[in-house]
Amino acid sequence: MITSIAWKNVWRNRTRSLTVIAAVTVGVFAGVFAMAAINSSIVQRIDAAVNEELSHIQVNNPGFRGSSDIANVIAGPQKVVKVLDETPGVTHIAERIIVRGIASTSAGSAGVEITGIDVEKEQQMFTLNERLIPGTGSYFGTDTRLNSAFIGEKLAKELYIIRYILSEESFTTLEAEGVPAAVAAKLRPLENQRFTTEKKLTEAFSGLLTAKEAKLYGMKIKEAAWSYREGSKIILTFLDADGMQTGAAFRICGIFRTNNDFFEAMSLFVPRDELRRLTGMEEGQYHRIIARLEDNDQTDKASAAVKESLPGLEVMNWKQIQTDLAMIADYVNRIYGIFMVLILAALAFGIVNTMLMAVLERTRELGMLSAIGMNRRRVFSMIMLESIFLSIVGGFAGMAVSAIVIAITNHTGINLVKYAEGLEAFGYSAQLYPTIGADFFIMLTVMIVITGIISAIYPARKALQLNPVEALRGE
Amino acid sequence: MKSYQLAWRNLWRNKRRTLITAASVFFAVFFALIMRSFQLGVYAKMYRDVIESYSGYLQLQHTDYLDESSLDNGFVLEQSLTEVIEADPNVTGVIPKLESFALAAAGSRTQGVMVIGMDPDNEQKTLNIKNRLIKYRLTPEATEALSGENLPSRTAKLVGVFSGEAWTDEKSLISDLGISDDDSAAVLPLFRKHASLENSYLTSADSGMAVIGYGLSRYLDAEVGDTLVVMGQGYHGVSAAGLFVIKGIVSMPNPEIDNAFVYITLADAQYLYAATGMVTSAIISITNTDDRELIQTQQRLAASCDDGLAIRNWKEMNALLLNQMEADNKSGAIMIGILYLVIAFGVFGTVLMMMAERRREFGMLVSIGMQKRKLAGIVGMEMLFIGLLGVMAGIAASLPIVFYGYARPLRFTGEMAKMYEEYGFEPVMPMLLPDTYYLWQAVVVLLILLVAISFSVRRIFKLNIINALRA
Repeated sequence: MITSIAWKNVWRNRTRSLTVIAAVTVGVFAGVFAMAAINSSIVQRIDAAVNEELSHIQVNNPGFRGSSDIANVIAGPQKVVKVLDETPGVTHIAERIIVRGIASTSAGSAGVEITGIDVEKEQQMFTLNERLIPGTGSYFGTDTRLNSAFIGEKLAKELYIIRYILSEESFTTLEAEGVPAAVAAKLRPLENQRFTTEKKLTEAFSGLLTAKEAKLYGMKIKEAAWSYREGSKIILTFLDADGMQTGAAFRICGIFRTNNDFFEAMSLFVPRDELRRLTGMEEGQYHRIIARLEDNDQTDKASAAVKESLPGLEVMNWKQIQTDLAMIADYVNRIYGIFMVLILAALAFGIVNTMLMAVLERTRELGMLSAIGMNRRRVFSMIMLESIFLSIVGGFAGMAVSAIVIAITNHTGINLVKYAEGLEAFGYSAQLYPTIGADFFIMLTVMIVITGIISAIYPARKALQLNPVEALRGE
Repeated sequence: MKSYQLAWRNLWRNKRRTLITAASVFFAVFFALIMRSFQLGVYAKMYRDVIESYSGYLQLQHTDYLDESSLDNGFVLEQSLTEVIEADPNVTGVIPKLESFALAAAGSRTQGVMVIGMDPDNEQKTLNIKNRLIKYRLTPEATEALSGENLPSRTAKLVGVFSGEAWTDEKSLISDLGISDDDSAAVLPLFRKHASLENSYLTSADSGMAVIGYGLSRYLDAEVGDTLVVMGQGYHGVSAAGLFVIKGIVSMPNPEIDNAFVYITLADAQYLYAATGMVTSAIISITNTDDRELIQTQQRLAASCDDGLAIRNWKEMNALLLNQMEADNKSGAIMIGILYLVIAFGVFGTVLMMMAERRREFGMLVSIGMQKRKLAGIVGMEMLFIGLLGVMAGIAASLPIVFYGYARPLRFTGEMAKMYEEYGFEPVMPMLLPDTYYLWQAVVVLLILLVAISFSVRRIFKLNIINALRA
């Protein structure tokens, strides 16, 4: 009974109630959506870390990670493989040889981590091969298996392997991409010129085009001019097993592009047997053995089990390797939790004001109700319920809107291309696909109801303080 | 009676409502100011760290060096050009610098490093790398030795958490390890005994000496006194190799720099890279570092530069850092925007109620001859007062906190500090003194009020007296 009276009361002053409800809707929507966007960037980062960079579990010689010393190989690799193989949930296992060195071309040089991999096994474990930039070759194409290297785009840029040339082919691409012929004609003077960096190309075409054209088609022009001489050679220099400087020329078989600049700049993959031959390491010696799990949720349990069976070796899961990732997820969630509380607190001001108004303008009516025998507890709960209705209607509307918008943007993605450079340096994608767990909505509902209750306390107390006799005389 | 007096009195007819609405504005302004102050303060500190430890405010470079930082884009710094630059009123000095990539090895460990050659005596006038020399560090042995000592329980636990960290001054050590004032007299000598590091800075007279980053020293497991083998590619592809004795270890603010920092004298670097007389850039130190003055100085100097040379400012040289901070800044601005949006709805709700409640009163006033324009003015002023009350209270409440946060920056301790340090940030959150961001809050609130006022003014002008009187 009280419930239905309270519900009807909410709609007695429609405009006023709708204003508050709209405020709650907007506040909840904005908060939820911001949280979903930020959450997605973390989810995407974790995905990339597991599927492209680290896999789930690593086993190292305890001294290896700190030093990258070539002599720190794993003792008893067969046992490690056996233990991993017997661990429930493990689907793939691969052994790696890793050395630090310098990659150089005639134009530039950079420090790299040279990873010798089992090409086939790792193709099944990682999705990195899918990150190959089209037209740059392949993920260890069959005929040049030996002496070939798979490298990141950032590294390729640092070594000046990637250049920008507007060839005849690029003009065809531009036409296909819908760039007007007039714009393409303006670019003709640049035909077949070589630009060593993206910036130089941008400067060159910006001089020929209007600012608007450059902004509109700049991306497409850069994409079309992006060029790379297939099979470019690089020299890798490193220390061999005896501590002597050694090196060899490698042919680049393919270039990959990820959202993690650091990974792109550091990683260079070569076939393991080739690296073994060059370093003079013995057969069966590895620096790292990695394992992939069926399901990410098994990570903690599986890595703990492996750790127990392999005393004397360093066993780590991706959360322990990328400690910052787990911490930042935690930290960001806390910040946004506080932010949500701030929004709700701001909303509470509006609700208090509205409810206070609703109580004070109904002085006479409330006096009447108590005079005819409605007890104080009921008056109190009626006001409470009105306030909760206001917040919950707005809250549900806000959650519904955000669920729809999240579903849409999850499909289309949000592009933060302006900040791509900065985000990707930390390994975060500039393309966001907002997503949020269902449990968050449950928690939020509870928070909204609490907001409604807290904001009703003051107005409801005011209602109780009314003296029925005076209230009836009022107005 | 003047209309502003009327408006002011009207406010206090419904005291509760006025106060609640003003409180909501206060709430938003207060939190927005505190948040902004922290955010902007942290950015300012980060920029200052990078400028003072690495890039300087302005640099003289080859035009292509920014895009292609290779030795081949080095140049010979003519004495005449140095003199021209030093003659500028804002310039205090020119520090030639030669830097290039190389592989450093100590024992059997190797790591790619950035070898930086500068004249130490000259450099200290502008950069403050010297202050970054490590005084204390928790090596495994130090952690072990300290665990045998009688430490307060909290400090003992934090010694474990911070194992491997290093400190450049006693103050941050005390803060990070939660050493209370009472304990410090007993505890600090223990740290001095087990965890202090004897090292020193480069001087111009040194030859074959290097100062390296703490991250690098840990990676190479290299100690003060150890020899570092540096191999790489010199000028025009000549192979370069040299031996350097580690003289000091510094903690650089950015982990990427810290993990790859090798600092030798300019003469040593020129010899190592077979680049006699050449530099890759020259840091130009200036007195007035204001954004406007900085750009003007840059333009003045650029005009006197030879062809093929360019003056870059710290923003151009640290584009990536700026981009990251801007992305973070945007996310903060969006959060505050949402907060204000919610407050705007609240203010709007109040206006709506007030208009409905006072319809009869307005009708009466107009019917006895008050001009609608004057009435609208009074109502507008009422709202302005509410808004200003909130803004001023917000500013007043934030000021003491901001000034305190500026003078004594918030410093995280324990695990929280460890997390920041792992990310390469100092666990300090200084606040920024009042600046344009204070003005912005007032502007935003004013905009919200403008919408509310224009709504109520329209209502008043559309007021039908007969209906209003009946209400």
